[in-house]
Amino acid sequence: MHLFPHILELGMKKNGSIQLNMFPTTIMEGLRIYHIIEGRFEWHINHQPYVFYPGDVALIMPDIPFGCDNDVLKIGSFTWIHLALPKKDGHIQPGKWSGLSDTEAAAIGKILSLNNLPALSRFNEVGRIIKCIYTELSEKEVAFQARVNHQIDELLIQITRKMTQQTHSTRDFPKTFTELEVLLRRDLAHQWTVEEMAGLVGMGTTLFTEKVKSYSGFSPINYLINIRISEAIKLLKRADITVTNIALDTGFYSSQHFSTTFKKLTGYRPSEFRKNHLRNI
Amino acid sequence: MECIITIELGTNGVRVFAYDLHGCIIGSMKGHYPTFHTEPDHSEQDPEQIFITTLYVLKNILNEYIHPKKYKVASICFCASMHSVLAVDKNGNPIGNAITWADNRAKREAQELRDSQLGKKLYELTGTPIHPMSPLVKIAWIRNRDADRFRLTSKFLSIKSYVIQQLTGEYMIDYSIASATGLLNIHTVHWEDDALQYAGITANQLAELVPVFTKAGKLKNAYQQSLRLSADTKILIGSSDGCMATLGDGIKKGEEKASITIEDSGAVRVMGPNILKDEQMRFFNYLLTDNCYVSGGPTNNGGNIFEWFTRQFGEFTNPFDMESSIEQLMDEAANVPRGSDGLLFLPYLLGERAPIWNANARGAYFGLNIKHERRHFIRATIEGILYEIYSIGKMLSERQTINSLAVNGSFGTIPFCSQLIADIFSKPVQVRQPFHSVSFGAYLLSATEMGIYTSLDNVAAVAEMPNVFKPNEQHHTIYADYFCIFERLSAKLFDEFEAIGNLQQKYAHPIKPL
Repeated sequence: MHLFPHILELGMKKNGSIQLNMFPTTIMEGLRIYHIIEGRFEWHINHQPYVFYPGDVALIMPDIPFGCDNDVLKIGSFTWIHLALPKKDGHIQPGKWSGLSDTEAAAIGKILSLNNLPALSRFNEVGRIIKCIYTELSEKEVAFQARVNHQIDELLIQITRKMTQQTHSTRDFPKTFTELEVLLRRDLAHQWTVEEMAGLVGMGTTLFTEKVKSYSGFSPINYLINIRISEAIKLLKRADITVTNIALDTGFYSSQHFSTTFKKLTGYRPSEFRKNHLRNI
Repeated sequence: MECIITIELGTNGVRVFAYDLHGCIIGSMKGHYPTFHTEPDHSEQDPEQIFITTLYVLKNILNEYIHPKKYKVASICFCASMHSVLAVDKNGNPIGNAITWADNRAKREAQELRDSQLGKKLYELTGTPIHPMSPLVKIAWIRNRDADRFRLTSKFLSIKSYVIQQLTGEYMIDYSIASATGLLNIHTVHWEDDALQYAGITANQLAELVPVFTKAGKLKNAYQQSLRLSADTKILIGSSDGCMATLGDGIKKGEEKASITIEDSGAVRVMGPNILKDEQMRFFNYLLTDNCYVSGGPTNNGGNIFEWFTRQFGEFTNPFDMESSIEQLMDEAANVPRGSDGLLFLPYLLGERAPIWNANARGAYFGLNIKHERRHFIRATIEGILYEIYSIGKMLSERQTINSLAVNGSFGTIPFCSQLIADIFSKPVQVRQPFHSVSFGAYLLSATEMGIYTSLDNVAAVAEMPNVFKPNEQHHTIYADYFCIFERLSAKLFDEFEAIGNLQQKYAHPIKPL
């Protein structure tokens, strides 16, 4: 497997009888993906119980405990793959082997980490991809290395898309938008791209931009600037944080960029604005 | 060429319109701001985001429609949702978020006050129903449950007062918004001592009370420059969304005509020279100008209920396409017999205000038999929402004759709904095109201030609306029969509403953290 250091494990288990002490709770650094073929499994992911039926997928993020409550493995069969994914900015991301561009890889990492949905239902595509990887690895036909890495990219793309579709109903844009806003505010310092925002709510950028525009009156990026400036105003009214730190905390790449944007919108430089609002202290 | 800008600070966002002096729309834009529900009964908005969104949209509309065509902005007139409360410290900086009209945290304070003699007295003096929406009880809640915020608060503002203060530096509140705080004596037009005492504050902690035509100071230099507006641009304090919708619908003081708004929520209103008194404390009486009252009743359950229905049962051929899903359902409903073959819907999914004022009320489908199909539910849902509107109208007509109706708001102006309203009320219905009465009301207010019209009593004719839906008497008979059961059920289920509400609370699943 030296060609594929990022594949930690690939396997399939057919379990004909109930086995004790076979499935203890473990914590691993890699991303673990399980696809159920037969049977019914009650597994704990991050101490929460989930029930999996054939076709379902369990997705265990790095460093998350996973196993059976009483270590018992029920009758049935499933396949799995464990992947080592490097971390960047606190999020996992496909490594050098991946054919994804840097921004797409970053978006996938961000969405996987933020959505954090460990159970994906009716998702046989994952089983098909794992099987395909297995076949390529055992037959080693020409260019199998590229084929395997393509399939892993495909697996991560499929999982990311499925996850966002399962998290968000396609019926309630206001609710979806509110949830997105919560995520944006939680990490305002991040340089959000439209691709990431759209991906987080399971939409393509074209539809996303159109929906945000008609719902909010602003393009996604301009709406984000609204949030950034409103948070910045709040911080400027406190004396205990420097203007440069406010700029970085609210997602402007420099205090210059912050100052220009702030002045354009409000007519004040951030420092002037602060002086006016702190004068009575 | 001069123009008038109106800014409506609404529940979901800000809408800015530009009108020429004849009342024709030059352009309009909107900007959304979010509502936060950090706890089940809480409903809050970020004052800074409201301000910055308003500024952003205003700037965009000026740059796109006004400056390129060399219009001179004569005045900017504000109107806003009622009942909001924002605490600010001695520097004018917000302490926490603004609490909106939809916030229910003060329900215990409201219930206790409503049941007391003081509550009855305050309702008569202030015209604001005793309800968690009222700033009176919200401030009492802050005093009781958030002592730190209460102690640090220099002033309790409305969202509109805050936005204007940011722009001009003046703390002001107009008669209309003030009369919806539960703190204003609408007979004397002064802050009411008994109400101040109940809330635990003094008049100094409120903004300066001014008529709706008041100029709220001068735009600060920085904003004159960033918006490219001259120093003499008038900033008009304006009024509330409810009062402006009524004015914009062409209702004349004392006229026997009611204005119906059905957006997400809704209201039925009349305008007259007298306060409509009510022993049962069901009406609101808000002040537009001296001796001109906008009276009526609000509902929690309007277009938002049909949106809920559409999300559950609509066909979504395209993702997030609420509008065409609603349209499709309306088409299906049109093919169901009037009265939905005896399927009735009580729309109280969000509890209800007027006329039953019962926060425990819940929704119900009643009269279901084996022949009913999906399509009957669609029509019954629409009819139920409109029966509720009718029950407010019926309550109002106990005090004032209503001969005709004007309808506004995104749900009410759907032609199918407008016709149903005409039939259910048995009154002709006019509809404002392009459906935005609040802004048009604010235009009329500004134009009157400029002397284009002599007084607000004379602007009704300007707001003339030709589009008439005529009532059909045969259809009315069917609806009237079903309405009797609707009305009885709403009252009879009082105990059961409470019982099911209690169980819903008892067995509630905790809200899943994001």
